[in-house]
Amino acid sequence: MRLRQALAPVVLAGIAVLTPRFALAWDPATTHAGLTARALAASKFHATLAHEIGRALGSLEPLRLDLGALEPDTARNLKSRLDALDPAGGYRPSADRIATASAWVRAGAVLAKTPPERGRHHFFEPRTRTGLDDGPGLSGTVHAARLTFDDGATVRDGATGLAFDLEGMPALDWLRSPRNDLGLTAFFDNWVLAVSAAQANQRETALVRAMLALGGALAILEDAGQPAFVRNDFRGEFLAQDSGSVLERFVSDRYGAVSLPPSPAPVARPDLDSYFAAADGNGLAQDTQRRFFSPGTLPEDIRFLPGQTPSEVAGMANRSLQFPEPTVAALDLRQSGRTRYVVRDGIRVLAYRCNGDRVHFFLDQAVDEDVARRWLPEVEGYAAGLIDHLLRARLQIAVEENKARVALTGTATPFGPAVTVHVFWEDDAGVRTELPAQATQSDAPLSFDLPKGARKIAAYVRGQDGAGAYAAASEARVP
Amino acid sequence: MLVASCGPLVENAPFALRPDTLQPGDLLGPFDGIIVDAETERPIASATVAGSWAFERGIGLHGPAGSREFSLETSADGRYQIPRPDDLETGGSMRLRRFTLVVYRRGYVAYRSDFKFGSDEVRHDFSQHANKVRLDKWQPTLEHRQHLAFLGGGVAIAKAAGWEAQPASLEYEGLAAPHIAEAKGETVFSASEQTLDASPLLSVEEVRGVTGFAGEFEVGRLADRVRSDVFDSRHFKAKGKPEAFDVAVRVWAIGTAAAEEQFKKLAGELPAAVATEEIGDKSLRARGGDVLGLAFLLREKGLVIQLSCGTSQCTEPGMVLRLAKLVESHVGELRSAPDGKAGPEGKPPLGKTPEEGKGKP
Repeated sequence: MRLRQALAPVVLAGIAVLTPRFALAWDPATTHAGLTARALAASKFHATLAHEIGRALGSLEPLRLDLGALEPDTARNLKSRLDALDPAGGYRPSADRIATASAWVRAGAVLAKTPPERGRHHFFEPRTRTGLDDGPGLSGTVHAARLTFDDGATVRDGATGLAFDLEGMPALDWLRSPRNDLGLTAFFDNWVLAVSAAQANQRETALVRAMLALGGALAILEDAGQPAFVRNDFRGEFLAQDSGSVLERFVSDRYGAVSLPPSPAPVARPDLDSYFAAADGNGLAQDTQRRFFSPGTLPEDIRFLPGQTPSEVAGMANRSLQFPEPTVAALDLRQSGRTRYVVRDGIRVLAYRCNGDRVHFFLDQAVDEDVARRWLPEVEGYAAGLIDHLLRARLQIAVEENKARVALTGTATPFGPAVTVHVFWEDDAGVRTELPAQATQSDAPLSFDLPKGARKIAAYVRGQDGAGAYAAASEARVP
Repeated sequence: MLVASCGPLVENAPFALRPDTLQPGDLLGPFDGIIVDAETERPIASATVAGSWAFERGIGLHGPAGSREFSLETSADGRYQIPRPDDLETGGSMRLRRFTLVVYRRGYVAYRSDFKFGSDEVRHDFSQHANKVRLDKWQPTLEHRQHLAFLGGGVAIAKAAGWEAQPASLEYEGLAAPHIAEAKGETVFSASEQTLDASPLLSVEEVRGVTGFAGEFEVGRLADRVRSDVFDSRHFKAKGKPEAFDVAVRVWAIGTAAAEEQFKKLAGELPAAVATEEIGDKSLRARGGDVLGLAFLLREKGLVIQLSCGTSQCTEPGMVLRLAKLVESHVGELRSAPDGKAGPEGKPPLGKTPEEGKGKP
């Protein structure tokens, strides 16, 4: 705080020359929240909460985050980020930290880019599986310096080498990184704690953190549906000019957080990586990269000679491309000064205009409209598929007399190595205690003796199947 | 374009200053307007109005950086006034990104200043001053889950709309919500602007008559589930006594199909539940600790009723059944009440068949 006050005059001077531009990431407060809401509605999220985790209202179940149950630093960090959220989106928790399960997931998708520099780790170039890399040059250093002037907190980061210097981890690495408090590690850890922690407030807080982490994971995948994020185009998108991003603005203003086009069916993929990139070429990052241009990866403007055919001119444009797809087919060079479009699969993906013997390529609002209309539902479908993928494994609990039978279902083949099923019983005071764990290597039910007075039974398992890592958690009442 | 000021940068407002001008408004406000019924143009009282300002920061990448919110409830004239926030976020790239107004009144479709419900169209008729919010009446074919997804809004809105969670959850489960069921001709019990009122089902005198209890009761509602147009409860809390002296009634008025599902759910969830044929179309007994339970289904009426009685109050199981029969005898008096208030006299009783229920509010 002291640092921020001391820098105030410098900051004001900086604004005059460094007017901030608006980024071409999906806008966290509106677009990420909206994409996530659509994905949740299309997935089995509600049913899982209502029928597996004992939350009767499912996605609409009110959940309380008990900051007192967290480490002080974690609690402080989370509180300050939650306090930054916009109430209009419907995902900001109340002052006593209560929100519905769905709202917590949407909040997580927004917090994934709060503070905004976290977005540096959302880039993913699917051919090389690399993250944001601005290459050699001073841009990164200059950008880090600009951020230092923007927020006192980044002065410390600059001193320790943590400032955002236009480089970041590949999105898939960040998704799995233990450093990411809204990544898969946090999701799996808290998902199992949501049924296994001893006290009810600890379980509910863990469930909230699992919801937040699920939202964070979805936000990373959703950015794989944004051309700049899969074409390593921070410089072209974010630094080329200070006038603001047309696409981000267009999507945010046109669809907000509550009005995005509905999602199709969830997209099923064989494993986590394949939601981003896979050998079949159907990862979201691959598809996005293949279909769309970003402002920094357009064909260069070209000059053509009289007598050159449209396809020869298109060939010249294609030779300047950094990525193999999309490409420019035959161009219409007949009328000077008129805007025309490169259309692919019925979508305008590139605008161009002839001026004499020059062709200028650009992106305009018509392209943005088509990209948003066509691609946002696709992104929602992938996000819904990822939710179902992460929640694929189920533990079915049946209680008969003094025994609980627990069966693991829904895992992908092959089953994978043996896993340990942890079972807990809950007493009248709501305290859960673990019973002796059992190992299994199939979906055959395991039998557990129940102590007298058990009110509920809960179970969890973590493992690795043919589709990758999974965690299943479930609970049931004792009749 | 951005407008620099001493505080954050304030973006241009996407709305007009007034309805009769193209002059842009000011994101900072103040804001004023009136809430009216779209059909009658009459002012709507008790509407929850919430205005919120969203701040963002960042260079290149940007994200949320704070907010302010102001909420109020309209009085009889339906008017609202929202002052400018006096403390703003500050910082190098801090900017005020948007202002959003959300209006909620039970029985109506919610209003947002940025989008329209149902069509997902951008709203263009919001203005900073003299804004007129025309609320359309809620229609039976609409879905609560879509309404909640659209609504957004902060704490005040969430509180006012909290009752919609239960019918929305039923919609997620694939069960017809009461109002959709009504449109399909199923048995229904309430209109969306009404809340269920379980108070006629059982009285203190009736409890005393059955159990012989001479002490005092505090009568209220159970806190474990929000009252709505499809759910209500009655809690007879024995003053100065432990929970084993309490009596409670829960009632779900959710239509034929959903009532069957709810009864099944209770059968699966209540401790030591055993099916019995004592009362209604189906019934069950349960016991958890010091509390005896009895739940029964009235299929035609689309009702599920759950009675709980502590073992110190109901000293024998037959008492629970007698209480349940008293409750059943009062089902015809089950009423709805506007907006969570006590059921007024003269309201048609609920629990009617579709034909009988026609023309109810």
